[in-house]
Amino acid sequence: MKYALYLPLFILLFALGCDDDDVLSTQEVDFPISFRAEFGGTPLAIQSADYAYPTGADLKIQLFQYYVSDLELLPAGGGDPVQLSDIELIRWMSATEAATTTRTFQAPIGDYVGLRFGVGVSPDLNAQDPSNFAADFVLNENEFWGPSTRYVFAKIEANADLENDGTFDTPLTYHLGSDALYTTVTFNRTFTLDGTQDPDFTIVADVLKALADDTDSFDIANPDQQRIHGGNQAIATDLWNRLADQFSLETR
Amino acid sequence: MISGLAGAFLLLGTLACDGGEVALTAKREHLEAFADMLVPADNPATLEGVALGRDLFFDPLLSADSTISCGTCHRPELAFSDGLPLSRGIGGRLGRRNTPGLANVGYLHQHLFWDGRAVGLEAQALHPIAEPHEMGGDWATVLGKLRRHPDYWPRFRSAFGLGSPDQLEASHVGKALAQFQRTLVSSDSKYDRVQRGEAVFSTAEALGEAIFFDFADDPEGPYAGLPTGECAHCHTPPHFTNQRFFNNGLDAAAHLEDFGDPGRGGITGSKAELGLFRAPGLRNVALTAPYMHDGRMATLEEVVAHYNGGGEYAENKSANVFPLGLDSVQATALVAFLQTLTDSSFVTQSIMLLR
Ligand code: HEC
Ligand code: HEC
Repeated sequence: MKYALYLPLFILLFALGCDDDDVLSTQEVDFPISFRAEFGGTPLAIQSADYAYPTGADLKIQLFQYYVSDLELLPAGGGDPVQLSDIELIRWMSATEAATTTRTFQAPIGDYVGLRFGVGVSPDLNAQDPSNFAADFVLNENEFWGPSTRYVFAKIEANADLENDGTFDTPLTYHLGSDALYTTVTFNRTFTLDGTQDPDFTIVADVLKALADDTDSFDIANPDQQRIHGGNQAIATDLWNRLADQFSLETR
Repeated sequence: MISGLAGAFLLLGTLACDGGEVALTAKREHLEAFADMLVPADNPATLEGVALGRDLFFDPLLSADSTISCGTCHRPELAFSDGLPLSRGIGGRLGRRNTPGLANVGYLHQHLFWDGRAVGLEAQALHPIAEPHEMGGDWATVLGKLRRHPDYWPRFRSAFGLGSPDQLEASHVGKALAQFQRTLVSSDSKYDRVQRGEAVFSTAEALGEAIFFDFADDPEGPYAGLPTGECAHCHTPPHFTNQRFFNNGLDAAAHLEDFGDPGRGGITGSKAELGLFRAPGLRNVALTAPYMHDGRMATLEEVVAHYNGGGEYAENKSANVFPLGLDSVQATALVAFLQTLTDSSFVTQSIMLLR
């Protein structure tokens, strides 16, 4: 049974739900959320910018992407989280793209105390093959790596100039993710959605922070750390944890 | 807006009962591995539309001087490529790029052409007729011929519900050609049969598959230590393309402006995208030589040698293209794997389209 076929079913169930007398509680507003990519605090430019890496190398970033699963709002006073989206692919792959991308979701009006999401593809979706989905669904963006390895949760690809000779001739490719690494990120924020004073949320991910921090920079000069595609689990886990830990939420 | 193609395949099944139209029914039973093809809501496939598109595809009437058809360059026996480094159009005029095969082109919903300048088969089909170096660039003449045509005009009328000949426009030609091209589905190569458990790879093919898909990434697996080919990042199954744009290292360029063919950058205007081309699908690739956007490589052996060497330097060369370290046995095995993407029944059925 194809996933897309469930959609009409959901719509039907929703319509049935509206027959009930709890109609008032489901009033919804458009709630845009932005995603910004950065490198060291400046907006990320694919391919066109040179970035300084703490070990002295320069980088040109070619690709930065991650899946976001179960993007949810946490209602004040408890209760079930409100799901805005089951899965999104957030991706920067072209010099023509802006560093910020905005997606608009539907959310019930109300008071909330937080926002949370899973970094990666949630285990239930990760268990499903791409052919189960519509060809233009985000799980059909060719990030499926095979029957046992499943979807790649996040990728960073760059070319490094290690010798500072102006040639970006050391490729770096980090392709990460597995059910075991799926990580939930929660931001505690108190806010109200009523369509008038709704907050502007921007989820920020910084490629540099995913690779390096003040005390400990991922060693991109080490040939064993230039191409991580699942294989070396210790390194893959280290890199994944850095990536999953660095998300921040900007509120305006 | 967009719906699945299941209906179209049912229709084509009916068509088969007419006899003589078997080719159009190509293997609709082997589509489980593919996400359903997306079809624009304003151009659902119909019996008449597909058959009309098929006849137009092979009819030189669509060129300014009635010498060249789509099928002149997209030859069924070569999986709809032409065997030439650069295409040759009307009056023998040399084109600027290599003619790609069309197997599964209906599944490429993101971009068409090497530089992605068209989106959707309906829009794409308008290009070659308008190109001076392909079919002569004379839509007015072509439409005039079709409007007066004793066979085509009534068929357009019934396929698209037109009232009078002057309502027949270029877009209707595009729609019919698109409907036909969506039936060019290849899903029964040895690779597909192995996935379905109906065949097994030879030792060499299995080794090639392991290189293509980086099986060595599993440190506990049987292929640990084998070089990784990195191919499937860009040539991603089931259509063996991720439909995105890359520099795979064909030309050295100290400055990005040095690329002879601007590729994607010529379309987006972005300097960083000069020399990038869409990763081509590799189904039936053994039949579509010569290779690359300018047909510079004659054989798959040459292609594999190119990737094995890591390609030429430019700052926008993909980070997934670097020296692979394949020995000669492994390089040969990778070619053997690429040959498993040949679908001989697709070719046989395509040739039958010529009647
Ligand atoms: C003179 C030879 C020639 C003729 C005639 C021709 N083509 Fe092509 N076709 C090409 C070349 C060359 C390309 C690649 C051009 C590029 O990418 O810049 C191409 C590309 C395509 C593509 C895009 C495939 C992909 O993978 O992106 C489609 C679809 C196609 N042609 C269909 C047609 C149709 C339909 C006709 C008839 C209306 C036609 N062609 C006529 C040479 C030809
Ligand atoms: C970074 C993405 C990328 C990777 C990795 C990659 N390719 Fe390609 N491939 C491309 C692009 C882009 C082209 C077209 C380049 C051009 O013509 O300018 C191409 C062209 C080809 C062609 C020519 C097809 C045709 O119809 O002309 C073959 C065959 C091929 N690649 C096989 C492979 C194999 C085998 C591997 C692994 C060893 C591989 N590719 C790795 C992107 C890639």
